[in-house]
Amino acid sequence: MDWILWFTKFENTKPLALVIFFAVFCGVVFYLYGNKNRSEKLESYKNIPLQDDDN
Amino acid sequence: MKHDNIERNVGILLVLTMLAISVGGMVEIVPLFFIKETVEKVEGVRPYSPLELRGRDIYIREGCYLCHSQMIRPFRDEALRYGHYSLAAESKYDHPFQWGSKRTGPDLARVGGKYSNDWHTQHLTAPRSLVPQSVMPNYPWLVKTNLDYSDIQGRMKALRVTGVPYSTNQAEFERNVKEFGEEVAKNLHIPDAEKNLLAQAQAGNYDTNPDNLTEMDALVSYLQVLGTMVDFKKYDDDYFVKFR
Amino acid sequence: MATTSTINKEQYDYDIIRKFTIMTLVWGVVGMLVGVYIASELAFPVLNFDIPYITFGRLRPVHTGAVIFGFGGSALFATSYYVVQRTCQTPLFAKGLANFTFWGWQAVIVFAALGDVMGHTQGREYAEMEWPIDLLIEVVWVAYLVVFVGTLMRRKQPHIYVANWFYLAFILATALLHTFNNLAVPVSLFSMKSYSLFSGAQDAMTQWWYGHNAVGFFLTAAFLGMMYYFVPKQAGRPVYSYRLSVLHFWALVFMYMWAGAHHLHWTAIPDWTSTLAATFSIMLLLPSWGGMVNGILTLSGAWDKMRTDPIMRFLIVALSFYGMSTFEGPMMSLKDVNALSHYTDWTVGHVHSGALGWVAMVSFGSLYHLIPKLWNTQTYSNRLINVHFWLATIGILLYITAMWISGIMQGLMWRAFDDFGNLQYSFIESVAAAHNLYVMRAIGGLFFLSGMVVMVYNMTKTIRSGKV
Repeated sequence: MDWILWFTKFENTKPLALVIFFAVFCGVVFYLYGNKNRSEKLESYKNIPLQDDDN
Repeated sequence: MKHDNIERNVGILLVLTMLAISVGGMVEIVPLFFIKETVEKVEGVRPYSPLELRGRDIYIREGCYLCHSQMIRPFRDEALRYGHYSLAAESKYDHPFQWGSKRTGPDLARVGGKYSNDWHTQHLTAPRSLVPQSVMPNYPWLVKTNLDYSDIQGRMKALRVTGVPYSTNQAEFERNVKEFGEEVAKNLHIPDAEKNLLAQAQAGNYDTNPDNLTEMDALVSYLQVLGTMVDFKKYDDDYFVKFR
Repeated sequence: MATTSTINKEQYDYDIIRKFTIMTLVWGVVGMLVGVYIASELAFPVLNFDIPYITFGRLRPVHTGAVIFGFGGSALFATSYYVVQRTCQTPLFAKGLANFTFWGWQAVIVFAALGDVMGHTQGREYAEMEWPIDLLIEVVWVAYLVVFVGTLMRRKQPHIYVANWFYLAFILATALLHTFNNLAVPVSLFSMKSYSLFSGAQDAMTQWWYGHNAVGFFLTAAFLGMMYYFVPKQAGRPVYSYRLSVLHFWALVFMYMWAGAHHLHWTAIPDWTSTLAATFSIMLLLPSWGGMVNGILTLSGAWDKMRTDPIMRFLIVALSFYGMSTFEGPMMSLKDVNALSHYTDWTVGHVHSGALGWVAMVSFGSLYHLIPKLWNTQTYSNRLINVHFWLATIGILLYITAMWISGIMQGLMWRAFDDFGNLQYSFIESVAAAHNLYVMRAIGGLFFLSGMVVMVYNMTKTIRSGKV
C-alpha cells in the first residue's frame, strides 16, 4: 500500500493533475473538432430551439 | 464512451457534471481539515465566556460583519492601523467565522482594549456624537434591552457539539484546567454559565450602568476581548510565516 | 440528427411559468427598492431611524436575498421550466411537484426576509437564512431537480439541448453548495439560532467556496442557460457555434469551483490555496469569454437588430457586461490587485456590474420575449422597453463608476504614508471622502429601479390584454 503515499506529495500530484486535466481537455477538443461528420451532427443540434415554433 | 451518450443520457450527463463540479472544492477544502499546518499553535486562544458569547450573538444578529472585517492582512499600513496580522488560530473557536469581506467601517480584529467601555457604549448608542462623519447606524436599543440569557447553556451545548471545549462534567473541566488554566476553565463550565455570566457583567460593568444587565454589556464585553488573547511579544514573527 | 416533431403548445404547462414570471417582477421591485434604500442609508445614516428592523445590517441580507433568490431565482425557475419543455418538446414532469416548488420557493424568500429583519441570521453572506429555512430550501431544491430531470427523461427530442445542461449544472451545484455551507448545530428544536459546524479558516473556505460558486452557478451558469435559449430565439437564428457551447460548458463547470479562495487572499489560509484559486480565476476568463463570444456572434449578419429590436439590445448589452465583469473578476483575483481592491467598494461595484449588467439585463430581455408568449398576446409598448433599457443602462453606469472611484480611492487612502512613514489618513477620512460617491451610487440604483417599475407597468398592461 506504500504506493498510495506517492499521491500525498504535492510535487507528484501537481504535474499528475496537470497531465490528467490537459489530456481530458485535449480529448474534448478533439472530440468536438476532430471529425467532420461529427462536427456537422453537433452543429445541427443548434437548431433545436427554433424547431418548436408555433408562436 | 462516446460523447453522444452524454448528450442523450441524462444519467451520464448528471454524473459527469457532478464529477466536474466536485473536484475543485475537494482539492481546496478537504486538506484544510487534515493538514496540521493550517492553524498555528499559540498560547492564549480560548473559547468565549458566556457573556462574550452572547455579545457575539448580538454582533451577528445586527449584521456588523457586513461593514466590519475581523481579518488583518500582513501589510505595513494594516499593521500600523490595526496591529499584528490575524492568525488562523485566533478564530479557531469562531462558529461562524466573522472575517467579513467589506470595510465600510474599520477592521475590528484587534479592537479589544483600544477604547474604554464608556466610549463603546456611547459610540454604539450614537456613533456621530463621537465621530461626526461616521455612517454607522445608532443602536440605542442595546442599552435599553435586558440581556436574555435564558438559553445560554443550550447555546454552549450546541457549540460543544461543534467541537468547542466547553465542559459539562468534572473530567472535562479538569482537561480545560490543564489546557487553559483554572481561571478560564471555570468560565467554560456549562453548569455554571448563568452564574459566570452575571459575575463577569458585574465585575466588568461594560455598559457603565452597574444596576442592570443589558445587551450592551454583552456586546461590549465581546468587542473588548477581540484580538487580545494572543500575546505577540512571546513569539518571533518567523514562526507564523510557515503557516501561510 | 435532431428531429423536427413538434407538439401542440396547449400541452405545455405554462401556468407554473406564469406564476414564477409574475413573482420575478414582484421580487425585482422589492429587492431593488431595498437596495436603493440601504444605499441611501450609507449616504445618509439618519435613514436608519433608530429602528432595529431597518438598520443597514439587517436590511442588507433582505436586499441580497430578494434580488438573488427572489428575482434571480424566480426568473430561473420560470425560464428553466419553459426552456426544458420547449427544447424537449414535452410537458413538465410531475406538475404537482412543480407547483410545490413555486409555493415552497416563495415561502423561502418571505421567511428569509422576515428572519433577516428580526435578526435571525447565520452570519454568513448570501446564506443568512437560519436552519429551518435551509431545510425548506433543501426540500424545494430536490423537488426542482426531480421535476427538471423527470422532464428531460421524457423528452421527445433525442438530444438534450445545451441550455438544459447549464440549468442542470446550476441545480446540482446549488444543491451541493447549499448543503455543505449550511451544516450547523441548532441550539434546540424550538430555537431559530444555530452555530456553524465549522470554525475559523475552514469555515471561511467553506463559505467562500459557497459564495463564489453561488455567483458561478446560480448567477452565471444558469443565466447562460437562459442566454442559450432566448438569444437565438429572439434573433431568429441558431447560436453561433454549438461545439463552442459544449467546450465552454465543461470548462466553466470544472474551473469555477476552484476559484472561491480568491475571496480570501492575504487572509489566514494557506498560501497554496490562494495561489491555486488565482490561477484558476485567470483561466476562467477563457470559458467565460467563450460563452460571451458565442452569444454575441449569434447576431453576426443581423446586427441591424441592435438598432431595431430593444429586446435584442437588452440581451447583447447583458453579454457585454458579462464579458466586462468576467475580465474584471480575474484581474481582481491577482493577489497584488486584490491587496488594493479587497474590503473596498470596488468589490461592490464588480458584483453589481455582473448582477445588474449581466443577470438582470439578460433576465429583462428574456422576460420581454417570454411574457407575450405566455399570455398569448402582444407587448403593450415597445417604446417603454426602450425607456427601460436606457434607464437601466444609465443606472448601471452611474453605479459602477461611483464604486470604482470610491473603491480605488479607499484602497489608496488606506495604504498612503506621509513623509515620516506614518499613515496619511485616518479611517474616517476615507469614509467622509466616499460620501458624494455613495449619493451617486444611490441615484444610479434609483435609475435602475425606475426602469424596473416601467417594466412592471408595461408588462401588467401586456398581461391584462392576454388571452389566457
